[in-house]
Amino acid sequence: MMGAFASASGVASLVAIIMMIMIALVSRIGGLLIMSRVPIGPKVRRFVDAMATSVLIAVITPMIVDGDGGARVAALVAGAVAIWLRSPLVAIALGMISAALWRFVMATGGG
Amino acid sequence: MTSSLESAAAILDRPGTWRGVRQMLPLAAFTVAFGLAFGVAAAQKGLHGWEAMLMSALMFSGPSQFAVLELWAFPLPLLALALTTMAIHTRHLLMSAALHPWLHSLPKRQQFAAVFFLTDSSWAMALGEYQRGERNVGLLLGGGIALWLAWVVGSGIGLMFGGRLAEPERYGLDVIMLCFLLVIVVGGVPRRDMLLPWGAAALSALLAYYWLPPYLHVVVGALVGGGVAVLWPAASARRAAS
Repeated sequence: MMGAFASASGVASLVAIIMMIMIALVSRIGGLLIMSRVPIGPKVRRFVDAMATSVLIAVITPMIVDGDGGARVAALVAGAVAIWLRSPLVAIALGMISAALWRFVMATGGG
Repeated sequence: MTSSLESAAAILDRPGTWRGVRQMLPLAAFTVAFGLAFGVAAAQKGLHGWEAMLMSALMFSGPSQFAVLELWAFPLPLLALALTTMAIHTRHLLMSAALHPWLHSLPKRQQFAAVFFLTDSSWAMALGEYQRGERNVGLLLGGGIALWLAWVVGSGIGLMFGGRLAEPERYGLDVIMLCFLLVIVVGGVPRRDMLLPWGAAALSALLAYYWLPPYLHVVVGALVGGGVAVLWPAASARRAAS
């Protein structure tokens, strides 16, 4: 553990994690502090709501486009199951299984 | 938020907190599994156990933890990590603001405890009860604590097993992050009016991914998605009115 702290990448990780923790804490507490001063309109609310899911879209789009066949099949299956069955856990599990299956078939099919 | 509703005093006690814990127990079972998925993914990404546990214990948020995991490569892109975390957590700012009328009369320490454990689901549950006349903040605190414990325990279990497997992609372990984030986006309430913002976010993020410096695509996608949602709010305005 001390070794991890001593290395440059260990310090960078710690700095990054503390920074992200501070952002999370300030966000959760901040609402209570600013509420009495700043009115929050429907436009701001809508922007923030859309931004929260859009950032996730922005993260996963290149993963799908640049990913292998297994990743794409996983995304297709997980997305479809999440919409139809409304069960996130089943969706994730089936996504993983389909990626594994796809890669198994590709590996054996390709010789 | 009428004045008659606000007039009843807020309280925070042990029985109320237990009630909150029990209300969230079914969801906590799922949260253990999600935490496990995070632990496995973090181990696969090469994070130290204590780093991942620090995140689970103090960031306490599936979406942001999975999203930053995807950006986790050395040298760490600090700015992208910060902006991604902000884009996801700004929502909590609004959620805790909505709790202000309920919490503001409590001691500061209790207020902070209640919002430290803030999650989407415990917030929705507790605020629903508040609007039906509930005044015990323990409902919110207890619900949050139940989910927090589940998330931390799940993360720990996942970390123990996640790092041991060679060739994780053979078992599909490398697509956990992708599946989790995708399921969060599409698995919520059906939001057909979000198709345009999401499409714009995806397209702009992809263009930025190919043409702009690394990691900016996350910021571009977040801002474009939010901007489009504000500029074309017709569909959602109708929905909100109904």
